[in-house]
Amino acid sequence: MAQLEVRNLTKRYGSTVAVDDLSFAVEAGGVTGFLGPNGSGKTTTMRALLGLLWPTRGEALIEGRPPTAMEDPLRTVGAALEATAFHPGRSGRNHLRTLAAAARIPRSRVEEVLEMVELSGAAGRRVKGYSLGMRQRLALAAALLGEPRILILDEPANGLDPQGMRWLRDLLRAQAAEGRTVLVSSHVLSEVSQVAEELVMIRDGKLVSHTTLAEFTAGGSAVSRVRAADLDALTTALGERGAKVRRDEDGALLVEALGGVEIGEVALARGIAIHELAPQSSSLEARFLEVMGDEEGVEA
Amino acid sequence: MNLLHSEWLKLFTTRTTWVMLGIGLICEGLFMGLIVGLVPADELDEVKELITGTGLLMTLILVLGVLTITTEFRHGTASSTFLVSPRRWRVLLAKLGAAVLVGVLAGLLFVAVNGAIVLPIYSDRTGALPPSGGIAEIYAGVVASFALLCVFGLGVGAIIRNQVGAIIAAIAFFFIISSLPYLLPGNIGEYFPASALGSLHGHTEGEGALNQVGGGLVLAAWSFGLWALGTVLVVRRDLSD
Repeated sequence: MAQLEVRNLTKRYGSTVAVDDLSFAVEAGGVTGFLGPNGSGKTTTMRALLGLLWPTRGEALIEGRPPTAMEDPLRTVGAALEATAFHPGRSGRNHLRTLAAAARIPRSRVEEVLEMVELSGAAGRRVKGYSLGMRQRLALAAALLGEPRILILDEPANGLDPQGMRWLRDLLRAQAAEGRTVLVSSHVLSEVSQVAEELVMIRDGKLVSHTTLAEFTAGGSAVSRVRAADLDALTTALGERGAKVRRDEDGALLVEALGGVEIGEVALARGIAIHELAPQSSSLEARFLEVMGDEEGVEA
Repeated sequence: MNLLHSEWLKLFTTRTTWVMLGIGLICEGLFMGLIVGLVPADELDEVKELITGTGLLMTLILVLGVLTITTEFRHGTASSTFLVSPRRWRVLLAKLGAAVLVGVLAGLLFVAVNGAIVLPIYSDRTGALPPSGGIAEIYAGVVASFALLCVFGLGVGAIIRNQVGAIIAAIAFFFIISSLPYLLPGNIGEYFPASALGSLHGHTEGEGALNQVGGGLVLAAWSFGLWALGTVLVVRRDLSD
């Protein structure tokens, strides 16, 4: 049985379709990256899975049942939805205590999760004074409170500094290693590509791809970044040799399906001076943007 | 019970509740002390707010009831709350319990402040006990009314959700709009909250006026009715933010 599943999920807001006939399932254990540009329906899907909003059509299931039928919600699924959803006048510790009280979780567990997210020192202060990173940690602490079998995290890396990102990756790996099922959303592939084994990609509320990270990586080809004296002529020439050529935001060429040697030879044959020829290390990201239908993912 | 505990913690882990109760009771004490101390002795009987409190404290209690739910929508904590209890009506039931409890608490504190200030000064000045009617019954009506006011606010907050809108609507409806039918012929006005509150406080004057218990029942019907409507709406609505 899938731990998380959406079946033909559709959610409309007036005339806007946020999620459009989306179906996918997440099996037990491991980290699944839930990817898509901003506004692609990730948050709506997650909220439907958590029973916070009602699907227009289709269903969202947790351990095979609707979220409202969960026996012990906080021990089944923990969620961190947004880093701003705290009462500014309540301390981090008291926020967790209100949740713990509702789920009959001992106060000692509150201190434990505060320790886990390295927030013990600030827990007595009011959330008003927290940085975005601290709020993310507090949201994660709330998600971990019930030691749930499933974690649903919506853009948990937002607002984290590089150390925080690394800490988050280690945390997610550790949670998965303990057998938990983690669904983590992001609009940037690199945030999840180091921890996720599976990727679910959506765009405009529709499923674009559901694949393993290994398959996704293997499907990508090397990309070279090229600057030259006459880019238009070079684009034509490379195209004739079967290369896929795009322009990046700086106006340089991004060349696929042709190696650096061939690109150099093509340029030489046409008498075009090469100013820059560099293999792209972020070719995975480029492939992600390609799968996503480019532009929208770039700015975010 | 655990949800009720959670709601109680929510109430008293921000400053709002303390500040509102504190301000309300301090002002009430000062105001009552001034009235009972300065109004000419032969007019004291007329001052009906003497032992039932002023609009200020009642407004604060009403607003406190609104806040028990609108803060959750305003700050987005409703999501966490309903994640712990996806069956939302249970949360609303817990909030109802918390509203009743905090209303009773405020009522008892009011009685304590009032009893400590008004009764001694009054007796001292007039050599008699305050206005007609059993003091105990009126105090009981005040405690009950505070609980019902808080529930009334909760109901309005659950229906409207927007904090400012709900506060304005609750105050306007309770203290202004609902007193207008009183001007109509007949006793239809008696069945609206403002007048029912008066009856519950023992101000039963004029023909066709409800007695204390009747006023209490009418006010309870309004408060619990709004709460029930609010609960249905909260269960049905999406939580998109």
